[in-house]
Amino acid sequence: MNSLPPKTAQSSFAASSPRSCVAVWPWPIALGGLTTFGLLSALLGQHGIWLALSWGSLSIPLVVIVVCLIRAWSRPSSKGGLS
Amino acid sequence: MRNLAVTGGIFPISDAFKGVCSYGPGGVLRRTELRLTLTRICERAVFMTTRTLRRWFVVHKWTSLVCTLFLLIVCVTGLPLLFSEQIWDTFVGDDDPPYEVLPPGTPNVSLDVVVAKARTLYPGQIITNVAPDDDEPAVLVSMAPSWQALKDDENYPDRNSSHWIKFDARTAKVLEQSRPADGPKEPRTWTGIIMGTCNRLHISLFAYLPGRLFLGFMGGVFVASLVSGTVLYGRFMKRLQFGSVRRDRAKRLTWLDLHNLLGVATLVWATVVGFTGLVNELQTPLFGLWRVTDVRQILRPYADLPVPSQDHLSSVQAAFETAAKAAPGNEVTGLSFPGASFGSPVHYVLWTRGASALRARLFTPVLVDARTGELTGAYPMPWYLRFLEISRPLHFGDYGGMPLKILWALLDVVVIGVLVSGLVLWAGKRKMATDARLRALGYELDDADATADPTMAAEGVR
Repeated sequence: MNSLPPKTAQSSFAASSPRSCVAVWPWPIALGGLTTFGLLSALLGQHGIWLALSWGSLSIPLVVIVVCLIRAWSRPSSKGGLS
Repeated sequence: MRNLAVTGGIFPISDAFKGVCSYGPGGVLRRTELRLTLTRICERAVFMTTRTLRRWFVVHKWTSLVCTLFLLIVCVTGLPLLFSEQIWDTFVGDDDPPYEVLPPGTPNVSLDVVVAKARTLYPGQIITNVAPDDDEPAVLVSMAPSWQALKDDENYPDRNSSHWIKFDARTAKVLEQSRPADGPKEPRTWTGIIMGTCNRLHISLFAYLPGRLFLGFMGGVFVASLVSGTVLYGRFMKRLQFGSVRRDRAKRLTWLDLHNLLGVATLVWATVVGFTGLVNELQTPLFGLWRVTDVRQILRPYADLPVPSQDHLSSVQAAFETAAKAAPGNEVTGLSFPGASFGSPVHYVLWTRGASALRARLFTPVLVDARTGELTGAYPMPWYLRFLEISRPLHFGDYGGMPLKILWALLDVVVIGVLVSGLVLWAGKRKMATDARLRALGYELDDADATADPTMAAEGVR
């Protein structure tokens, strides 16, 4: 995020010039994969380590949300989130 | 060139290739034409995207608007339901008498003894169901004055002629009984009222089967809104780092970023819970479908036989053992007597379920002829009911202990956040449109921030 000039981070998607795009999908795919793993590991494993893995992987999306919110609210002028 | 492409946008895509085919082999002309054609296709793709995007936006707006209110109800009422066991234990308490302390390894008495004891307690009544408890040494026996009385109950929502007796499985002593129907009604507790209201709102909006189907439909609409929301997310986030929440610009952008962040982080969970909720709401029609297809087929040879008197039926204990053998790897969870509305007039229906963790929710009914005690068959459920059984835990979140329930609750709260932020965005847009209309009519409006912001204009697709 810091590597990008602030203008780029702010600009709305509707800007017509093809300025640097960011990879949109890696984070959502990773979070979705973790959620899927968490939902299934407890269902199929139902014991010990699988339960713990399920709790761990399902809580990561929540942790990511909290981190993003803390970042946004602790630095009022920040324009970015996780990089 | 740009003009060419834009005007080309109205022609079907096959036209773009015409130039390539009509020129002879080789030559500069052909290469230029090919390059031009490729550019034209690319530009057209961009052109299409804006139009397609607008369509996706309309889909997202309307699907979300249709289901938001009901989803808010379902999300809020779902929270106490998640912890209903703990809530009951905390506020009402477990009023079961304590179990007798017996030497470990004391065998259970035969179920025939339990059944006989139930009959002597209520002579002249019928037994409808025998169900050993799965984690306490108890057997629950359900009784009723007659099958006809149970059938008549269906016409009177507040009548219930069935009652139950709880026996100690090891001593066949009566532990507890349901309150008699004509006796004083159980005093209603606040916990009971609140939990009952939440439950009925969550499942059917107090509207029985139509309510269930309606909520199921709303589940489908919700999934459609999630899909369209994901497409929009891809477009909105093109120039934004993941997780950005812009707070130094218009309030609306903060709400939009929040909506995107909360939505995408819980996307898979919301899709799974929404879709399994839809499947759960379909359980009545799905069981009905099974009943009129497979079950009717199996029971056809017995359909017209009279229900035999319960004095001359074969051993209940033996039926449990026969069923356990007929469905290897399964445990028997209960038995219904012949004559039950869903079963056969002459068979015990035994419900067995998988003993392994994965199959624990897959039920296989076993029919045992109650006149002879012989096995008729085990009938695995069709795929759609197996799918329903798998859908249940994924909706309730009750399969991974307390931490999973807490995670379920937190994710539910985040989804409520997504719904609320979506509503705020929609309401903001409506206010803006109204303001623009008022300005057009010549009214002077005070708050300038809504129109002064250039990003508003940029959000042309909205």
